[in-house]
Amino acid sequence: MAVSLGDFIVSEVNVGVFVVGRDHRLQLWNRFMAHHSGISSEDAIGHSLFELFPDLPQKWLAKKIDSVFVLKNSAFTSWEQRPYLFRFAHNRPITGGIDYMRQNFTFMPVKNDAGEIEAVAVTLIDATDSAIYQMMMHTAMQKLEESSNRDGLTGVFNRRYVDMRLHDEIQRIDRYHVDPFSVLLFDLDHFKKINDTYGHVAGDEVLREVARRAQAVLREPDVFGRYGGEEFVLILPQTDLSGAYAAAERIRFEIAADTVASGDERITVTASIGVAQYQPGVTSAEKILSMADEALYASKHGGRNRVTVYSPQQPVTP
Amino acid sequence: MIDHLLLTPDQRDALQEVTNIAMGQAGSQLAQILESFVQLSVPRINITESAAISTGIAQLVGTPQSITAVRQAFNGTLRGEAMVMYDQDGCRDLADLMGYEDDLDGAADRELLLDVSNVLVGACLNGIAELLQAKLSFSAPTIMAENVEVGRLINPQQLTWNYALLVEVHFTLEVRDFTCHLLTLMPEESILTLKSALDTFMENF
Repeated sequence: MAVSLGDFIVSEVNVGVFVVGRDHRLQLWNRFMAHHSGISSEDAIGHSLFELFPDLPQKWLAKKIDSVFVLKNSAFTSWEQRPYLFRFAHNRPITGGIDYMRQNFTFMPVKNDAGEIEAVAVTLIDATDSAIYQMMMHTAMQKLEESSNRDGLTGVFNRRYVDMRLHDEIQRIDRYHVDPFSVLLFDLDHFKKINDTYGHVAGDEVLREVARRAQAVLREPDVFGRYGGEEFVLILPQTDLSGAYAAAERIRFEIAADTVASGDERITVTASIGVAQYQPGVTSAEKILSMADEALYASKHGGRNRVTVYSPQQPVTP
Repeated sequence: MIDHLLLTPDQRDALQEVTNIAMGQAGSQLAQILESFVQLSVPRINITESAAISTGIAQLVGTPQSITAVRQAFNGTLRGEAMVMYDQDGCRDLADLMGYEDDLDGAADRELLLDVSNVLVGACLNGIAELLQAKLSFSAPTIMAENVEVGRLINPQQLTWNYALLVEVHFTLEVRDFTCHLLTLMPEESILTLKSALDTFMENF
């Protein structure tokens, strides 16, 4: 028996093709559909789509098919909104990371010579690859965003990110009136001497180790970053001055507790710290940083390896 | 300069007539699908310059706080894009009428927008095409923008046409708190095709 070219293509094409009538009974079921569903065209044709596939969202899909009869117009569904209609396996079983084949559908009106709609022809396009690429792109974008927030040397946040979070924190207080936060600015003592004596590789190792030791003291909501050179910044949400002072003392203690090893060298490291608290309505991001900087400056002048809390008159060491 | 694009008074009347008839049919088809009475406004027809497109759209749809828009391309005898614009509530009120049974999550919300848009665009444009003996096919609708100001919807600098025909229809549903605008835009070459299709239409009536 001769098969027309059109029939051959519909049967063999690597796209799902099926046809349903007004009663939702199948009139055509191509090889792709038979292969993926495990239901042969002999078993499918003449049967209701919803009886063969009770998992289908019947109310919605019936509405969609009926709308094609009424409007004589195509309808569509996309995997981006509805990942699949049929639970078909896909061709990336090992590398996919996706449960079922992602599917795009087009529902087309089949008109007779009188222009009446006799049936709806449906095509199913496998969109699994697109879905996987989009997932990979999404992951890459997330990584990129994450890395653009990080300091390359120490892995803690960078200045740009800390500045952004500082502005967020100020807005949060102005909007929701949560407890004010404190800022801690600290600077390694005589870091230039460390670089000159032990070299830049050792200097970098000191910066990494200091970042690690400070991080060990942090709580979940704290934002810790490298502010440039040997200067670090820490935002302590909902923390008053006495809490911030205690955190600063712990960090100062942790940094100085042990020497830093670089090759055979044991390098003694200490830090000077300045602490300031945000005053609602008074303080800008720049202002609180300059307050903490002023207190840090007092720590340096007071003999280093110490914590100073900012006070408006003059910075004092408690 | 744009004289050849302007519709003659007869063509304009014919287009108004065609769109009115088509909207009447669309209304009854939509009523069958949504099982409630749909009101369609009298279509407004304009020729717009690309630089003035945003102002033109704002004049037609008003300036709600923000809008969500779905676009759908059509081609065939006439080529262009239809845009359906919703206010911030989208078409959530139509969910059950469109066969959605569960609470809508983000993806279902978007799918509903696409479903409703496809139905509205198809009902209106197929009616017009049929009267003009034009053949249209539609590509799948996509979300154009979610919750943006009307002025930011289209960047006039990115447009590759100078003049376009703008047809606006506005839908309301009696039983639900729902309203949206359908805008159809056709670039120059389709305006010329449309003009000759309108001439043929007039000859036959």
